[in-house]
This record gives sequence, C-alpha cells and structure tokens, in this order.
Amino acid sequence: MVSTKFYTAIYVVLFVSATIQVLVEFAGLAYWAAFGIIIVLSAAKAVLVAAYFQHLRWEPRSLTYLVGIGLVAALALTVAASYSLL
Amino acid sequence: MSDTNPERTGGGSERTDGGTEVGSEVVSGGHTDDHDHDHGHDFPGTGSIKRWFVTTNHKDVGILYIVTSLFFLVLGGVLAWLMRIQLWAPRAPTETILAPVAYNQAVSAHGLLMVFWFLSPFAFGFANYVVPLQLGAKDLAFPRLNALSYWLYLFSGILFGVSFFQGGTFSGGWTMYAPLNVPTFTPDVGASTAVLALVLFVASVTVSSVNFLTTMHRMRAEGLTLRNMPLFSWTILLTVWMMLFAFAALLAALMVLSADRLLGTTYFAMESPAGALLWTHLFWFFGHPEVYIVFFPALGVMAEVFQTFTGRRIVGRKWFIIAMVLVAIQSFVVWMHHMFLTSINLQVKTLFMITTIGISLPFDLMVFALIYTMLKGKIRFTTPFLFVFGALLLFIIGGITGVFLGAVVLDYEFRGTYWVVAHFHYVMVGGVTALVGGLYYWFPKITGRMYDEFLGKVHFAAYFVGFNLLYFPLFVAWETPRRVFDYAPELAPWHQLATIGGFVLGLSFLIMFYNLFKSAFTGDPVSDNPWEYATTAEWAVSSPPPLENFEGTPTYRDGHLSFILDRESDATGGATAADGSGGATADGGVATSPHTAVTTEYEPTVEATEVEGPSHASIWPFVLSLGAFLILLGISPLQDTAFPEGMMGAAYATTAVAGFGVTLGSLIAMGLEPFHGPVFDEGEAWPFSGIDNGKVGMWIFLASDVVLFGGFLGAYIFTRFAFGWTGWQPVPDDPIPGLVNTYILLTSSFTVVLALVAAEKKHKLGLVTSLGATFVLGIGFLVNKALEWQHLFHEGLWLSTNVRTSTFFLTTGLHAAHVIAGLIVALYLTARAWRGAYLEDSRSVEYFGLYWHFVDIVWLFLFPLFYIL
Repeated sequence: MVSTKFYTAIYVVLFVSATIQVLVEFAGLAYWAAFGIIIVLSAAKAVLVAAYFQHLRWEPRSLTYLVGIGLVAALALTVAASYSLL
Repeated sequence: MSDTNPERTGGGSERTDGGTEVGSEVVSGGHTDDHDHDHGHDFPGTGSIKRWFVTTNHKDVGILYIVTSLFFLVLGGVLAWLMRIQLWAPRAPTETILAPVAYNQAVSAHGLLMVFWFLSPFAFGFANYVVPLQLGAKDLAFPRLNALSYWLYLFSGILFGVSFFQGGTFSGGWTMYAPLNVPTFTPDVGASTAVLALVLFVASVTVSSVNFLTTMHRMRAEGLTLRNMPLFSWTILLTVWMMLFAFAALLAALMVLSADRLLGTTYFAMESPAGALLWTHLFWFFGHPEVYIVFFPALGVMAEVFQTFTGRRIVGRKWFIIAMVLVAIQSFVVWMHHMFLTSINLQVKTLFMITTIGISLPFDLMVFALIYTMLKGKIRFTTPFLFVFGALLLFIIGGITGVFLGAVVLDYEFRGTYWVVAHFHYVMVGGVTALVGGLYYWFPKITGRMYDEFLGKVHFAAYFVGFNLLYFPLFVAWETPRRVFDYAPELAPWHQLATIGGFVLGLSFLIMFYNLFKSAFTGDPVSDNPWEYATTAEWAVSSPPPLENFEGTPTYRDGHLSFILDRESDATGGATAADGSGGATADGGVATSPHTAVTTEYEPTVEATEVEGPSHASIWPFVLSLGAFLILLGISPLQDTAFPEGMMGAAYATTAVAGFGVTLGSLIAMGLEPFHGPVFDEGEAWPFSGIDNGKVGMWIFLASDVVLFGGFLGAYIFTRFAFGWTGWQPVPDDPIPGLVNTYILLTSSFTVVLALVAAEKKHKLGLVTSLGATFVLGIGFLVNKALEWQHLFHEGLWLSTNVRTSTFFLTTGLHAAHVIAGLIVALYLTARAWRGAYLEDSRSVEYFGLYWHFVDIVWLFLFPLFYIL
C-alpha cells in the first residue's frame, strides 16, 4: 500500500499544523481571522487522519459517505439550534 | 448499480418485488432436524431454561424480545389504568386516589415504558425473527451482539423498575423537559435511575442498530437487491438507519443530563443560558425521528399483511419505498415543530412548519397505496388483516389531527392539551394495532401452530371498540390540560367514556394472551405457509424454521427463491430434532402455493467446510449486561460526584465496583471465547460490498459516535452562543498542556499505524512494541490531563462552578473516557500480540486503529474549541 515513510510525512504535517494553531493564537490576529485559520487547520488535520491513517482514501466511497451523514446530522443540529436563538 | 439481477420479465407467475414467489415444499424435515443436531451438542433445546440465557440465535432473541416487550405493555398499561381511574372525575390535589406526585410518576413512567420498553422492542422482536429469514441469512452478522442487545434491553427495563423503589421514579413527563429534570425539582434517587435506565436502553439500541445495518447491507442472498427486498425488511432497514443517528443524539442528551444529576454540571440548570432550550433541541432532534422509528415497523407489517390478504402486490411499490426513504430523511429536519411555544425565532418556526407539512406528503402517498391495494385485491378478513386495516384507519385519524399541530398558529392553542394526547395515541397505538396484527400473522411461523381465529376476531372487535372509546373522547375533551389530573367539570362525561374504553382496550388483551398461550401448545399444526399468497422467504421454510434457517444457500439469482444445496449437508442423515420445538413442523406439508417456484439445485461443495459450523451459545452477553446494570445502579445515588453518607452509600459504591469487575471480566471472556459467526457467501452487499463485516460494523458505530460527540459539541456551541460567543473565555488559561496532549495523541495514532504495518509484515516485535508504545502514550495523555484538571480544581474550577467549566470538563471527560476504553483494548491487544496473535489476521489491530484515530480526530476539534478559541 503505502510506505512507512509516507505515513511519517503525514504525521509530521499533523504535528506541525497543531503547532501552527497555537502560534496563530499567540500572533495577535483579529479574533475571527484567527478563528477561521484555526478551524480550517483542524478540519484539514481531521481529513488527513481519516484519509490516510484510517485509509478511507483506499476504501469504497460508501464508508466516507456514511461518516459524512453523521457529520451532516451533527452540524444540522448545531447550526439550526444556534440559529433558533437569533 | 451492482444489481446484477437477471431479467424478470419471463413467466408471468413470478413476482419481482420483495415477495418472490415461494412454494412450500422446499426440503424435507429430516435435513432440517439434523442441522439442529449438528451444532446442538453444546446448545440446549428450547425446553431448557439454560438455552434462553445462552442463546445467540436470532429467532430465540426475537421471541425473547416479544415476550419481554409484552410484559412491559402490561406494566405500562396498568399505569395507564391508574391514571384513567384518577381521571374519572376532576379532583383537587387533596382528594386524589394517587398522590399528586405518584400521578406524575405514573404519567411519566407510562410514557417512557410504552415508547421505549414496549413499542420499539415489540417491533424488534419481529425484526429479529423475520428479517434474517427474509434476507436469506442464517443469522445476524454479530449474533453475540444481538444477544447483548436483548440483555441490555431487559436489564435497562429492570433498572427502570428499580427506580420506583428509590424514593420514586422520574416524575417530570416522558419528554423530561429542563429544568424539571435536574435534582432541584426531581430530587429522588429513582429519578436519576430512570435516566440511567434510558442510557442503558440506548446502549442496547446502538448495538442493535450496528448489527442490523451490517446484516441488512452485507448479508442479503444473491439476487436480493435492495430494490427487491420485502417491505417489512425495508421498513426495518430505514428504522435502524434513523435509530443509529437519532439515538446517538438522545445518548448525548441523556449523558449530559446524567452528568447534571450525578456530577453536578449545570447545563440544564435554571441559571444556565438557554439550558431549557438546549434540552428541547437535543431531545426533539431524537424525538421526532423516534416517531417514525416506532411507526415504520408497523407500516412494514401493514404492507406485508395487506399484500398477503389481498393477494396482490402493493400498488406503486417503488413509490411506496421512495416515500419511506423521503420520510426517513425528512424526519431529521422537522424537530422544532415540537418547540413552537419556546423562545425560538419566528423565521425558524415558519421554516419548520413548512418542513412539517412536507413530511405529511409522502405519507399521503403511502396511505393511498395501501387503500388502492385493497381496492384492486380480493380481501380475506383474517385476524391479522383486521388489525392492520384497523391500524390504517386509526393512523389516518392520527395523521390528520397531527397536521393541525404542525401549524404554528393552531399549535399556540392546542399545545399542552389533550388534543396532543389524543393525536399521538392515535398514531402510536395505531402503530401498536398493526404490530398486534403482525403478532397474529407470524404466530404460526414462530410456534408452528395456528391461533384460534374466532377468538382473534373477538379480540379485534373488543380492541377496536375499546381503542376508539378511549382515545376519541379525548379529542372532544381537548381542553383538558395535559399531564394534569384536574380539569373542567363539564368534561367529566368524556373522561368517563375514555376510562371505560381504557378498560375495554386493556382487557381485550386478555383474550389475546389466552388465545396465543393456549394455541402455542394445542393449536392446529401448520404447514410452512399457512397463508395463501404469502410471498416472503420466511414462509418457504418450516414452521418454526430450523436453527440455521435454510438448507443450503438461498439465492434469488433466477428471479425467485431457490436453494443451492451442498452435498455435505445433504449427506448427514436424519437425526431427531434437538430443537425441542415439537413435531408439528410442516414435514409432510404439500405445496399449497399457486405457483411453486422453488427449485433445489445441487452444486458440488466448493470448499470443504473448514470450521465445525457457527456457534449459537454464549453466556457473556448476559453477564456483561448484568455488569452494566450493576454499575448504573451503583452510581445512581451520586450527587455532585459524591455518594450518600453511611451504609447505604457504601452499599451503592460496592455495587458499582462489583459491576465494573463483572463488566471488565465478561468483556475479556467474550474476547477470548471461540465463537464463529454465521458463515455466508457474499451475496448482495450494496453499498458495502468487498468490505469485511467487522469493518463495516466499526464504521457504522463510529458514524453514530460522530453524532454523540456532535451532540456534545453542539451543546457547547449552542450554550456559548446563548452566553455570547466572544465573552466566553477558555477554561484553561494556558493552551500548552492541551498542545502537549495533541502531540501525544497524534504520536499514538502514528504508532497504531506502525503496529498495523508491522502486523501485515508479520513482524511480531514491531507489532508488540508499537501497540505497547500506543498504550504508554495513552497513559501519558491521561496523566497530563489529570495534572491539568488537578491544577484547575485547585484554582476553584470544577464541574459545577458554572456552565463554562461544565462544558469543558464534561466534553473533555467524555473524550478521556473514550481514551480509557481504547487503552483497555490496546492492553488486551498487546497481551495477545505478545503471545503471537494478529500476525496471520491483523483485522483486530486495524479496527482498533479506526477507533483510536477517530478519538484522535475528536481531540483535533476539542483542542482549539476548548483551549484556544
């Protein structure tokens, strides 16, 4: 499948981007700009772990959709509930 | 897509819907019996008590579900009678028959017991029994987990029963609205126990959902595509999909509530921002799909029975299925119509009114399909048909009266009145009506004997009269306030009618119990298919079916059901039945089907069956459930993380500790127990073809876990939003410990990857080292977290300090609990790897990795949300 070297590379990217998240926080950006960068980095890391460590990339796409449905349900609940407060 | 169906145009006699024509003379009874015998040496017969504790067979589990759920029907029914007696006349709080709080408990317990412990499990009794037969599977994918589902269900019900004796059970209504659900207002220990009983019930449901989804997607017979699946199986499939996600949201709600009650968090406390609203969102996000979760199986029974007793395929079958799929999806976007009188904004109310009207449309199509099926067919008024026909009428009334409630303006008037009570009883008990029809319908299949038709019809008459006498007056007396025993005196005659109806309805079940009990022993023996025109596969095997359901492998590849027999199973000669299920089977039963389409083919066995056949017995599901029961009972008196003083507290604490021991021990025993699941040759497996059952099961479980964490994170985001997003500071003032834990967890994920690589290379030392490193890193994560929590605790920040700290400690605590669960598995894997396991078959390591990476991913979001932003 994939070599240990490749997995190591993924691991390094994950490690570095976690560090960047904290550095962004300390950089003193505007709150929502920092918020955006940090959340996008988290999402990117999550995709990397799911795609390579959980090897979804090489699985039938149905498994990805399955998890996607759960994600959509959770997001729908969160967004709609928060919106209902406005 | 992968539906490589043969064309089914030829031979007009064959039906291409789920109901494939089957005949009755499949194989002789002799073969049937020796299958039981083959694997029966360590598996006691049905006459033995032991059998029912160790069985993992889907048909046994189905019977257990049905019997147990009927017990809860009686319990919930007696509570309803108590309420109806009280409601005979309006009463002041001082002159009641039940004490006011006892009445509130009866109302709440009646609702919870009927919805959770009767309705769904009753339906799942049939699902357990019938679905594998309809699919052509020998059992569910994970038989031991199926037994586990049952035992968790039974023990959750017992736990609920215990709650009555701990100062009184929950008394805040079945919806458990906040803040009534926190100890300030419902202080009894029993109220906490009722919540914990629900948690255990949800555990059962989750295990069951994973099992059914894996089975139904992966283990259909060759040629049985989803498109051709029988309608009852279709409704169960959609039900379990809804269950998987809806119950995960309920689990989040219940865990948060348990934490509020036992650990002192303040999510739902009066002073929390939008705490009451948070509960309604979480509860109804589950609660509305739950309406269809309990109703869909009833719909499936209706469809099957309509087809059989009108002798006609359902009209517009494809559209019927599409309508059901639509409802299943739409059910997740209508929940706020239960909240029109809360403080949610008008725009969102309007939006949800529209979606609510939208969900009634597919139902119209289904109702018309059923009516038109009757018109085009030739009806035979047997007991099952009478019940499902009655159910259709009741459901139409229930559905139409519900449309009133879906309109925002009308709901302002109707909310909290008996209109709501009458409406949902017409819907829910309407569903029960169909399921009772299902009980009569499948009774001959399950017992091998026919019930008494005359008594069945008498039961229906009494039931239907009692039902309408009970619930219809409630529409008329709609101005009665819900859940309250006092009402305007001029409504009393209507309530008296309803009380009389309640007794008629309840007593009508005595006729059923008498009829079924007597017939189970002395009824006329039936053939494979006592119903002419019954078309689904359960009617192609003997009544009751043999232990492993089919002789040979069922296949639909020629457009109808046939069996591929391998010579080996044919060669093992006749033996006596070990099943103990009576000689009433349909051995001699001559074909009665009008179009006998079953063919039997002989094909040489491809592989000499290497294992000695599937196992059917394990005691560990029972023991494991007992352990879980003890844990929850033990922790039930906790308040603010402390046990009560004195002997009582010590006894509870001991119970909890013993429960942990039993649970852990039985988990390990279950892991080590040699157990072979059902052997199956992959047939139709869309959309998971080519993926191992275990992996599919793990991913399905993880999808529900996504919703569980989604519920927790959603609760956090919602609460923070209500509080004012930017005014809310992260609880830890320093993100560095969190960052360190991120590093640790990422590294542990990496070591799990290395473990799998080593296992695949058959590199034992690498495998053990990597798994061991994962374990050590996980411990490091927990130690670091403990230090951080201790530091915060000394700063005066703890679970109950405020809602900000509550969300922090509880959400990261749930994550830590996932880490601990993972570490236990990691330790187990390391020990087994040390002894040489997983080098030939690394799947266990892989599945553990999927879980562990998921826990890692969750942390990737918890870290920024709780430490940085």
